[in-house]
Amino acid sequence: MNGSPNFGSGCSFAPWADPHEKPLIRFDAVTKKFDDFVAIDNLNLKIYEREFFALLGPSGCGKTTLMRMLAGFEQPTTGSIMMNQEHLTDIPPHRRPVNMMFQSYALFPHMTVEQNIAFGLKQERRPKAEIKERVEEMIALVQLQPFAKRKPHQLSGGQRQRVALARSLAKKPRLLLLDEPLGALDRKLREQTQFELMTIQEKLGLTFVIVTHDQEEAMTVASRIALMEQGKVVQVATPREIYETPNCRYVADFLGDVNIVGGHILGPDDKEEDIVQLAWHEDYAPLRVRLPQPVTFPAKGKEMWIAVRPEKVRITKDYPTDTHNILKGKVLDIAYTGNISTYHVRTEDGQIIKSQEANLEHLHRRAITWDDEVYVHWRAGGCVLLER
Amino acid sequence: MSNLTNLTEVTDLLTAGEPETPQRPKRRSRMVLPKNFGRCALILVPYVWLLVLFLIPFIIVVKISLSDTAIAMPPYTPTFDWAGGWASFKEMVGGWDFENFTWLMEDDLYWKSYLSSLEIAFVSSLLALLIGYPIAYSMARAPAEWRPTLLMLIILPFWTSFLIRVYAWIGILKKEGLLNMLLMHLGIIDDPLTILNTDLAVYIGIVYSYLPFMVLPLYSSLEKMDDSLLEAATDLGCSPFKAFWLITVPLSLPGVIAGCFLVFIPAVGEFVIPDLLGGSNTLMIGKTLWVEFFANRDWPVASAVAVILLILLVVPIVLFQRQQEKQQEKGA
Amino acid sequence: MKRFSFFNASALTLGFAFLYLPIVLLIIFSFNESRLVTVWGGFSTKWYSAVFANKGFMDAAWVTVRVGVVSATLATILGTMAALVLVRAGRFPGKTLFSGMVYAPLVMPEVITGLSLLLLFVSLDFDRGFWTIILAHVTFSMCYSAVVVSSRLVTFDMSLEEAAMDLGASRMATFFQVTVPIILPAIVSAWLLSFTLSLDDLVIASFTSGPGATTLPMKIYSQVRLGVTPEINALSTILVVLVSTGVIAASLLTKRREVQRRREERAAFAES
Ligand SMILES: Nc1ncnc2c1ncn2[C@@H]1O[C@H](COP(=O)(O)OP(=O)(O)OP(=O)(O)O)[C@@H](O)[C@H]1O
Ligand SMILES: [Mg+2]
Repeated sequence: MNGSPNFGSGCSFAPWADPHEKPLIRFDAVTKKFDDFVAIDNLNLKIYEREFFALLGPSGCGKTTLMRMLAGFEQPTTGSIMMNQEHLTDIPPHRRPVNMMFQSYALFPHMTVEQNIAFGLKQERRPKAEIKERVEEMIALVQLQPFAKRKPHQLSGGQRQRVALARSLAKKPRLLLLDEPLGALDRKLREQTQFELMTIQEKLGLTFVIVTHDQEEAMTVASRIALMEQGKVVQVATPREIYETPNCRYVADFLGDVNIVGGHILGPDDKEEDIVQLAWHEDYAPLRVRLPQPVTFPAKGKEMWIAVRPEKVRITKDYPTDTHNILKGKVLDIAYTGNISTYHVRTEDGQIIKSQEANLEHLHRRAITWDDEVYVHWRAGGCVLLER
Repeated sequence: MSNLTNLTEVTDLLTAGEPETPQRPKRRSRMVLPKNFGRCALILVPYVWLLVLFLIPFIIVVKISLSDTAIAMPPYTPTFDWAGGWASFKEMVGGWDFENFTWLMEDDLYWKSYLSSLEIAFVSSLLALLIGYPIAYSMARAPAEWRPTLLMLIILPFWTSFLIRVYAWIGILKKEGLLNMLLMHLGIIDDPLTILNTDLAVYIGIVYSYLPFMVLPLYSSLEKMDDSLLEAATDLGCSPFKAFWLITVPLSLPGVIAGCFLVFIPAVGEFVIPDLLGGSNTLMIGKTLWVEFFANRDWPVASAVAVILLILLVVPIVLFQRQQEKQQEKGA
Repeated sequence: MKRFSFFNASALTLGFAFLYLPIVLLIIFSFNESRLVTVWGGFSTKWYSAVFANKGFMDAAWVTVRVGVVSATLATILGTMAALVLVRAGRFPGKTLFSGMVYAPLVMPEVITGLSLLLLFVSLDFDRGFWTIILAHVTFSMCYSAVVVSSRLVTFDMSLEEAAMDLGASRMATFFQVTVPIILPAIVSAWLLSFTLSLDDLVIASFTSGPGATTLPMKIYSQVRLGVTPEINALSTILVVLVSTGVIAASLLTKRREVQRRREERAAFAES
């Protein structure tokens, strides 16, 4: 993945897994109220040095508020935010070693690109030569050399976004906050910039916290993702973990597509001991889920849910063998999205199960079509069991 | 409290030529000035200035309106003597009475000038509306590339001296003036008309001087109107005239109200126009006050006139304020 | 392309004729040779020489300009402060009174403002003259300035200030390096508005001035009461032309900058 081997799981970079590692940022029971409205609700969070930390969540869940507390524009109502064992709360925004890249870029309209980038350095009254050198360095980093003397209104959206990035990086902040930095860009530019951001972060060895609405973006760039809901963090994990082993239905549903089937725990499978059976319908065979190691069996009769991603559900016309969970149904709808097709299958008991298949052949050669009788099936290891 | 949207809009139009496209930030930041010395100083300087030079003078006006006239400097009694302290203050308060107000009630000169000020201001507002509406409407319907120029032409008179613009009418309206010469030349009249020094001249002067204040709010409410509304109305079977009456007029009503207030309120207290264009029997309260003060040197009566004028104006000002606030709520 | 309809064209023509004809006639007759202002006696610029030779006019003009510059400058500073207080200071005791005092002078009859200020100066035993006119002018112009500046501040993108502070600028530095340059056009408008208000004012200046200080409107007024004279026509023409040129130039400048800016924006997007 573009020369950043640190990301993803199974990697060497995992300071959160090391109990001796000291976090760069620590939220301790932080609550933020706007009058009566609770925007951040008793939140605990640790962010480590050199992380690329993504905040994900629906609109209004408090992502921006969290960032603004880090930058110093909002004060927590209760709780404390620490940076390297130091209380951040009492430091005004202009003294924090934290810089922010604003969603609107907030470029100063009356200054050129150079002046915008130099602004932060000038505030520190660094020597002129040093400022000049640093500005040139930053302009080179974001490849804006031909535009150095232009003013923001003479730049295109993508160029403005680079200036904003360069400006927020110029002071080498310990922590860079990016609030939906790529929101205004088109898809192509966006993907390109994502990789640039990762390269820069890697090269400069900084800590980034990014807010994004785009889960694909979060999955691509982040070392860890925090998923938020109404001022609370629901799960913090690496992109792979959060996708493969969500800790609740909310997370499973928020990230990507998912099929969820509810039922009651029946007991362990008679053949394989790490597989648990879930009774979901009186007329049909129980579903089977392989539990992660170390195995802890849930109590019998407990209400739980199975989540399985559509790409892990196979669809065939013939009765499959060598699989754990099989449901019979009829194809209701097929959504064609170019590289894949998603089949919506209504099972005999009325549930809709989605199954995704890569389009290996041209459309007209597709074997399965509307109203076909089909079997959808998935392996016990392809799904997860959720308590909530 | 008093956020006069339309007034703000009008000053926007007057100063910038075009209203700024509202790019209101999505997040209403709570970042305010710090509660420290700097903030206090920032608040205190204009606050104290306005207290000393705006509010306290009013209190003094009220105080003097309760005093008696005297041939002295200052020409009223009792005066307050700082050295006398509390006793002097008590003496001053003891000397207060409502004599001046009683006097204003009894002398029908004052009554009449209040009433005729209100009447002149009211009629002028209506006339300004009648003249201003077609102008504003035509401006709003004009080709887009023309609108800034037209707006500039409406705004320009506002910037040029009020006194000079009133003065310009004297040469036109007087007996041997340009209007009479023209009319006689065309054979419409045989003898010159007496227009200058009549109420008619005052109406002309007020309408002329305050027309921009009528046109601007009208224009800004008419311009905001979506063309497709009229298209929809005609599509649903309205004749163009009926569409104008049923769609355009109701939607421009806020502009109409704002414009009328912006003409009416300053017109009530107007001095220059009735003085230069009106006659000796044109009664307007601003002129009465001026005469009372400068010619009769009766400061207490002049103050009493001012107090009553202010009381008269409070009603329209509060109504105007209400309307503005309602507009603002609707806008928000 | 939309065109003027017949009704619109005639309404505008009549309307603007009503607005401009008196001024145009005044300008024409300022070049009249004859002393009789309504009879054309041939072209002449002699009344202009008369204006410049008239010491009374020139002195009054000088007083007016000085009053205008000083009061406009003070009014802009105070008005900007008042606007900041209105928009940014949050709640403080007496805020309602404060905003009332800012908006009230805009609708206050001049005779009342003038009278009340005079009575204040008398009771404080101030010598009336140049400085009392300035105090009076600052008081009402600052309210106009406050309205102009606050309407710009309300639409100010706060993230710009936050960005500046985020980059290490203190509140003061943020204000002077970011806020002021961006709201500068509004501040300039406020100054120009204050200056013209001061230039135009007759009533308040009459109340608050003393023997030593006569402003141009006061001078013109005292002459006008005696009748129309070609000298006043010439003086008025000079004033009208000066102010109009200033206003038109300012608006053309703004307009050109705007057009230039749009063009550059379009170019930037076309480029990428
Ligand atoms: N200054 C404020 N005053 C009052 N409420 C606020 C303020 N700022 C934020 N809120 C509220 O707090 C909640 C969280 O806002 P926040 O901007 O943090 O959401 P967000 O997760 O960034 O949303 P989005 O994805 O839409 O940007 C929202 O309901 C918002 O209305
Ligand atoms: Mg947000």
